[in-house]
Amino acid sequence: MASTTLGVWHSRNVLWYLIRRDLALKYQQSFMGYLWSLIEPIGIGLIYYFVFIVVIGRGGRLAGTIPEEQYILYLMAGIFSYMWTSSVFNQATKALTSQKALITTMNVPREVFPVGRVFARSAEFLAGIPVLALIAVWRDAPFTRWLLVLPLAMLVQAVFLIGVSLILSSLNVMMPDIERFMSMIGRVIFYSSPILYPLAAVRSADLPGWVKVVYEANPLVGIVELHHSAWFPHVFPSTGLLLTCVTGSVVTLVAGWLLFRRLEPAVLKEL
Amino acid sequence: MTQPIIEVRDLGVEFVRNRRRNLRFREMFIHAFRSDRRRVQQETFWPLRHVTFEIHPGEAVGIIGRNGAGKSTLLRLVAGVLKPDEGQVVVRGKVAPLIQLSAGFSGDLTGRENVYLVASLHGLSKKEIRDKFDEIVTFAGKQVVDAIDTPVRHYSSGMRVRLAFSLVSRLPHPILLVDEALAVGDREFKKKCYKVIDDLLAEGRTLVLVSHSQPQLTRFCKRGIYLDGGRLVVDGTIQEALDAYNGTETRPHEVDKDDDD
Repeated sequence: MASTTLGVWHSRNVLWYLIRRDLALKYQQSFMGYLWSLIEPIGIGLIYYFVFIVVIGRGGRLAGTIPEEQYILYLMAGIFSYMWTSSVFNQATKALTSQKALITTMNVPREVFPVGRVFARSAEFLAGIPVLALIAVWRDAPFTRWLLVLPLAMLVQAVFLIGVSLILSSLNVMMPDIERFMSMIGRVIFYSSPILYPLAAVRSADLPGWVKVVYEANPLVGIVELHHSAWFPHVFPSTGLLLTCVTGSVVTLVAGWLLFRRLEPAVLKEL
Repeated sequence: MTQPIIEVRDLGVEFVRNRRRNLRFREMFIHAFRSDRRRVQQETFWPLRHVTFEIHPGEAVGIIGRNGAGKSTLLRLVAGVLKPDEGQVVVRGKVAPLIQLSAGFSGDLTGRENVYLVASLHGLSKKEIRDKFDEIVTFAGKQVVDAIDTPVRHYSSGMRVRLAFSLVSRLPHPILLVDEALAVGDREFKKKCYKVIDDLLAEGRTLVLVSHSQPQLTRFCKRGIYLDGGRLVVDGTIQEALDAYNGTETRPHEVDKDDDD
């Protein structure tokens, strides 16, 4: 494991180059590209705002944790974090298969392709930060030192996503139909993390205890809560939740790395 | 004696026949729920096995064999884009590979983007690439110069190989692996390539050449390795290897002798 970590470090130029190329391909014209990347998250945010605040009823299930007029900020903070996760889930599957030409002729550490995807897709999240700031100004949310939680949130999320990306990219070479499960998994992730609703609503819900344990075992629950707490400090994860999500992310990363190592010879034959 | 630059010891790699994409997630579920757990019969074969040789710095070695003898597999193992199931390959130095007529170009990128991408993956800095860029493209010929900002998928196979060879031969790496690439270019381009390879060999680089062209092989290589059915049959002078190869053929002139040179 040490040697491959070193390998990725030695090819950081390669990694950086791949990330820039990935971004350049996606955002051909810089400013339009930037706006384009915001359309989807903002669209989703508006739909849910309409459904849950305007139609269903004035934030009845906000469980008193979030002021209703700031719900849109809560929602968007979660959605931008989710966009990063979901684009990694969707695109990591193709990280190796789409670079077939390079991988079959050139000896580069193969990890750079899935790892590069995670970094490149963080662009959509970063692009959202100014939007969140604007919403915060509009909704009178305070800018506090809690914003410093954002880098931590991104770090934990990156660790988790790199693990996921390593797993999905190598497995997808062996089992190409994994790709088709991704949109369903994306939906599960969306509704099973506290994006639309506060975590407190799940905790106070009338559910068997083990369901709540399983729910909070998902590292994304803690990660989304970290993103929220930059704007709403009182939802900062409890020590238990924080430990769960950090441990879960690190375990995912290690498992991803081991699986990738294990499958690499077969992946190279299969490509 | 100097340390070998390429060391291949009891090398073998195993492939699964007809395996392509048949292990599906869906099937895993089906298998998991089926009581008899019947395993799908997987037939394996060894495209290369028990191959041992050493190549010293500055040598030019020709690899000869019929289609499917394991030549390309051997080159991919030396290039490190395939991992052995048995034995090992030790390569002491960086490798400039031109494998299966490709330098790793992606069809949807332009010639320019591909040159930058592949060269930077080979460890060249942006400045080094910029300095060499015109030379690389000019060498590949006028057609390529004109089409350098067109996606590579619109290139003819000749153009693609010319640009690939031009790039790979300008990498500073001590080992050059060339697989059949010289068979595609036209006469004029071949001549230019011969000159480049001569120069590289004169500099002391190591060349491993896979080819079916006898003039090419005898021109560059003193040593020849003849592979048959994944086994190393002859490792000797290029003439010995060629004789062994020609001897196995029912038709006498399998090696392309009337190559323009």
